[in-house]
Amino acid sequence: MEELGWLAIFGRMAVQFLPVWVAMALVFGLSITWRRRLGLYGKLFDSTIGMIGFGIVIFWLFTAVFADLIITHDPLAQVSQMRNVVPGTPLPNPDGRYEYYLLGGDSIARDVFSRMVMGAREVLRIAPFAAMISFMIGIALGLPAGYFGGRLDTGLTFVANLVLAFPVILLFFLLVAPEIQFTLIPTVMAGVLFLVPILFLMVLLNARFFTQPGKRNLYVGGVLVFGLWAYSGLAFNADPLGFWGISPNILNVFVAVVFVNAPTVFRIVRGITLDIKTRDYVAAAQTRGEGPWYIMMWEILPNARGPLIVDFCLRIGYTTILLGTLGFFGLGVSPESPDWGSTINDGRRLLTVYPHPALVPAFSLMSLVLGLNLLADGLREESLKD
Amino acid sequence: MTHKKRKATELHPAAQLYARECHEGKLSRREFLTRATALGVTAPAAYGLLGLAAPAARADTPQMGGSLRMQMDIKAQRDPRTWDWSELANVCRGWLEYLVSYERDGSIQPVLLESWEANEDATVFTLNVRPGVTWNNGDPFTSADVAHNIERWCDASVEGNSMAGRMSSISEDGALREGAIEIVDDLTLRLHLANPDIAIIANMSDYPAAVVHPSFTGDDPVANPIGTGPYRPVSHDTGIGAVIERNPDHTWWNEGNGAWLDRIEFVDLGTDPSAWVAAAEGGEIELTYQTTGDFVDIFAAIGMPESEAITAATLAVRFNQEQEPYTNRNVRRALQMAVDNAVVLELGYDGRGTEAENHHVCPLHPEYAELPPLTVDPAAAREMIEAEGLGDHEFELISIDDNWQAATCDTVAAQIRAAGINIRRTILPGATFWNDWLNYPFSSTEWNMRPLGVQVLNLAYRSGEAWNEAGFANEEFDRLLDQANGIADADERREVMAQLQQIMQDEGVLIQPYWRSLYRNLRPNVHGAEMHPTFEVRYHHYWKS
Amino acid sequence: MLLFLLRRIGVMLLTALCLTFVVFYLTNLPAKLETLAKTQAGSRISDAEVASWLERNGYARPMVVRYGEWLGVVPGWTRADAEGTVTGRCYRLAAVEGEAYVPERCGLLQGYWGNSTRFRAPVSDVITARLGATGMLMAWVLIVMVPMALVVGVMAGMREGSRTDRSLSTFAIASTATPEYVSGVFLIALLASSTVGLSPLLSSWGWIDGPVLFQGNARSAMEQITFWNFALPVMTIALYGMGYIARITRASMTEVMTQQYIRTARLKGVSFTNIVLRHALRNALIAPFTVIMLQIPWLLNGVVVVEVLFSYPGFGWTLFEAAVNNDIELLLAASVVAVVVVLLTQLISDVGYVWLNPRIRIS
Repeated sequence: MEELGWLAIFGRMAVQFLPVWVAMALVFGLSITWRRRLGLYGKLFDSTIGMIGFGIVIFWLFTAVFADLIITHDPLAQVSQMRNVVPGTPLPNPDGRYEYYLLGGDSIARDVFSRMVMGAREVLRIAPFAAMISFMIGIALGLPAGYFGGRLDTGLTFVANLVLAFPVILLFFLLVAPEIQFTLIPTVMAGVLFLVPILFLMVLLNARFFTQPGKRNLYVGGVLVFGLWAYSGLAFNADPLGFWGISPNILNVFVAVVFVNAPTVFRIVRGITLDIKTRDYVAAAQTRGEGPWYIMMWEILPNARGPLIVDFCLRIGYTTILLGTLGFFGLGVSPESPDWGSTINDGRRLLTVYPHPALVPAFSLMSLVLGLNLLADGLREESLKD
Repeated sequence: MTHKKRKATELHPAAQLYARECHEGKLSRREFLTRATALGVTAPAAYGLLGLAAPAARADTPQMGGSLRMQMDIKAQRDPRTWDWSELANVCRGWLEYLVSYERDGSIQPVLLESWEANEDATVFTLNVRPGVTWNNGDPFTSADVAHNIERWCDASVEGNSMAGRMSSISEDGALREGAIEIVDDLTLRLHLANPDIAIIANMSDYPAAVVHPSFTGDDPVANPIGTGPYRPVSHDTGIGAVIERNPDHTWWNEGNGAWLDRIEFVDLGTDPSAWVAAAEGGEIELTYQTTGDFVDIFAAIGMPESEAITAATLAVRFNQEQEPYTNRNVRRALQMAVDNAVVLELGYDGRGTEAENHHVCPLHPEYAELPPLTVDPAAAREMIEAEGLGDHEFELISIDDNWQAATCDTVAAQIRAAGINIRRTILPGATFWNDWLNYPFSSTEWNMRPLGVQVLNLAYRSGEAWNEAGFANEEFDRLLDQANGIADADERREVMAQLQQIMQDEGVLIQPYWRSLYRNLRPNVHGAEMHPTFEVRYHHYWKS
Repeated sequence: MLLFLLRRIGVMLLTALCLTFVVFYLTNLPAKLETLAKTQAGSRISDAEVASWLERNGYARPMVVRYGEWLGVVPGWTRADAEGTVTGRCYRLAAVEGEAYVPERCGLLQGYWGNSTRFRAPVSDVITARLGATGMLMAWVLIVMVPMALVVGVMAGMREGSRTDRSLSTFAIASTATPEYVSGVFLIALLASSTVGLSPLLSSWGWIDGPVLFQGNARSAMEQITFWNFALPVMTIALYGMGYIARITRASMTEVMTQQYIRTARLKGVSFTNIVLRHALRNALIAPFTVIMLQIPWLLNGVVVVEVLFSYPGFGWTLFEAAVNNDIELLLAASVVAVVVVLLTQLISDVGYVWLNPRIRIS
């Protein structure tokens, strides 16, 4: 068989990405049609920058979701004679497999294209969730610190600054080391850190519905049951049903990433809270006799959402870069993993002779981070127009 | 103990036997040289037995002067007998010399010894110290110094002293056995071995066997550089580099046969070979210490051709038979059967070596016996694993984070996975890996070459040995190994070896994909710096044109 | 003001104390000590040898006591061997420093930073030498990065929404989206390889003497810094860091440009260049100044990556080596330095903010 030209390669890749195109077309079509009813999200489609950013982000999001349909080969399988081959090289004897390595082979003869696609899943499995947990922790601690002030504020701020004073890379070397993995430290940290989101959701719902005990019990109970179920699996790997589970390796990385991100979020939330609590509507709520948690969760938080959403997008990007840094130092995520950071690191050594194994994940990573940044910019611009 | 003194001109009878075998093609020339010289036959005489002239050391006349920059890791120095990396020894080779040396052609050459003889059953060795050697502080080098060093090597109470294991035939209870060394005169001493051990002289060429001055207290040989060699250290910064210069205040015993360069700079550029390439492109290094994989060609492309050494060094992907599920022989056999060693060699090591046969005896070894080729049958492997009830079991293969080792294990894992068996990989950083290397259930370990096939089997697969990482305990194997150790004749030993190798394969001790070739890349104007099979950097023989 | 400074220093000390304890705890876990013993005494030594090595070198005692020793509040350990020779922590440290007098306590309070197990040298010597190297790198990074970022930011922020703004903003975002481990490798391939990129072209045209334009390895910068061996590491860090500063500058600039006094000036007919330089710039630079200061500790991440990538033995490289080899006392010293840098830059940023912005007073 002939080697493929670039046109054919891109054509075939476009075909492989078909599910992503369909999903993106649906999302864009529906969103643009209904954008006037969709609040801040809808306004995004008024800004070109925001739309481009959003497009890139959902492209990777759908790639992660449909990865199984898109890949042409098992991302871990190696095919003899395909070491470092250039993009578009045909397999020597396909026997039912996809006939080409669309973006070439890496240094141990794995398909670069499939690894890039699967890498999206790896990256998007950790970064957004780590950012989300960081946000929940930052919000859950930042709101009361800003609202109540006093000793609580001093204490929490000190702890946050303590973590921030740590060079991130030193913290990773200490926390993600294999020796630490076998101690109780990550489990204990996960036990504490993962508990916060559950408490956060419970307080959130309780503050809203405590006047309607029936509804309150239903919601809070639901969160508690579901939360503890996930918690048992994620933090202690002891889910009785075996649905939730996380390898100690990933848990370690996850915990470390949350640990370094949460204090920054805490500082942002605290700052915004300090600002918002002097507003009239907060004073009005206080005069109405609302409880402090209701005010924090349902008066202050919704009004702080603009900057928080923007920071959330940026933080996912930053976390993605951070995960790559871990890969660069050979820390964290499991070997053979197709995540972009590790593949860039594997490929970069041979960049001058075989550029494709490093370039493909590098461009993927840059485009995702770029997309997130553009999205954040678009959101910021639109939210300022309020 | 029978002991017959032979004249120095007389050749050891076994050497003549070996020469005959070599002529008949039963013994490779390389192995012949190793064994004959180990018995005290000089290299020219050994070549003479084959009817050959010893190869001229160099085609060109070396030029004096110049300085050389070489990439090599510079690790924190310590007592030579506790060295665990060849790099530690290589820095000090300019002033710390050895009694004997192991050469690229497989022969053992005298250095600080002038010659040695073994009695017929290899239990008494007479060592003749080279006359006229002085330490660089002016003291003469005598047989007492040799005895002092041998005593140091036998002291097992020092943590990490690996020489103690190599000297087991003259030690007792972790120290030199009383009466094992007999000092005959200033330049002669005799070793009385408890059992025949032809490897004892070869062991003295190993890198931790550097000869130190009696005043050496056992800390840092760079801070206190008293030695017999022609160079001396100028600076030594761990992780950064070291500078060595010719010692102007010392007359070297081998004056005129080396010490060409004025100055050698070792540059530590970390473990990432792409940083070495960048440094080489910028002219910061002229030769590498060891190049692996694709980098051999990359360096060649930028004007640094490679020098190759074919060796019996290897990567042992072994099972620990004391750990579940590898206690089960069928599991081990199945995993072996799932892996095609040829593919692992191609993808994992860039095809730079020869396929191995899962028994850790190399065709380079004299006693190597050829067995029928291995069967690779992924489907049968999968069936066997299922039959053992491990269809859903996830195996784990652990390796160190070194580039080629990790790639090889990734390839092994990919083959096992392709057979439909679940496996995941774990990579540990170098600092952590060694914490538990003996006990990992399924992991890979790098083994350097040893001249004889029985040496590695003795070291790594005999029941209860300290480095028996496979947890292999087989009475039949131990018995046959004892038998093989007592057979001097390679042909006779080969019959026993065939059984030993067969046991290794049948018991599924390890997946051993290949024998590695070793490479170094160097600028064309650097001479005498060919890759050495045991990684020696003898910079006192390097020169530049 | 004095009270404010004293309080900040107090917080700094407390932070350093907490942090060093955390580092001490994490580096003294049993598995980590085993790693240390194996790197020090031989990678293939047995468990019994590990135990005896730890015992002989004072690691086999409670962790809190050893932390106290390091601080200098607990007397250093001593032990006598069979011949009656006494060794101990303070004996070794005094010997390394070349002092005859052996103090009872020898920790931080007495001025002993300890010994690096990786580099076999006093920690204080290692840290000062490496900090000097990193100081040079950072100085050049700031010299390159700050003006570039400010120019880009001001140019983009002058006329919000213009084509210049759009393209410069996109450039700034793209630079923040390119981490050092990507840009560094690209720069090497592009400018410092004799097989790909620009160098072979330039070389064949006879524009450069050597095979490569830039050096892809900064080791020679240890002896002498030249444009050719230092440009790539400096550019790598500067590129990643500048995007963020440029964006802050742009935001600050656009805000200033909408202020009342700028409009008044424009109505008065002052030229646009004059408005930007005379009126807008000073106020627009307050926010970037604080960000630049806060950016310095944040750049440390990039410094570690770049120093390892270009094998330049500075502070980041030392941190990496110490962490990989579990060099306890060096890591402790490095974290103290890091804390001081972080808190000092925060302090400067706060003080500078007040100085630049007369509307704010510190209470």
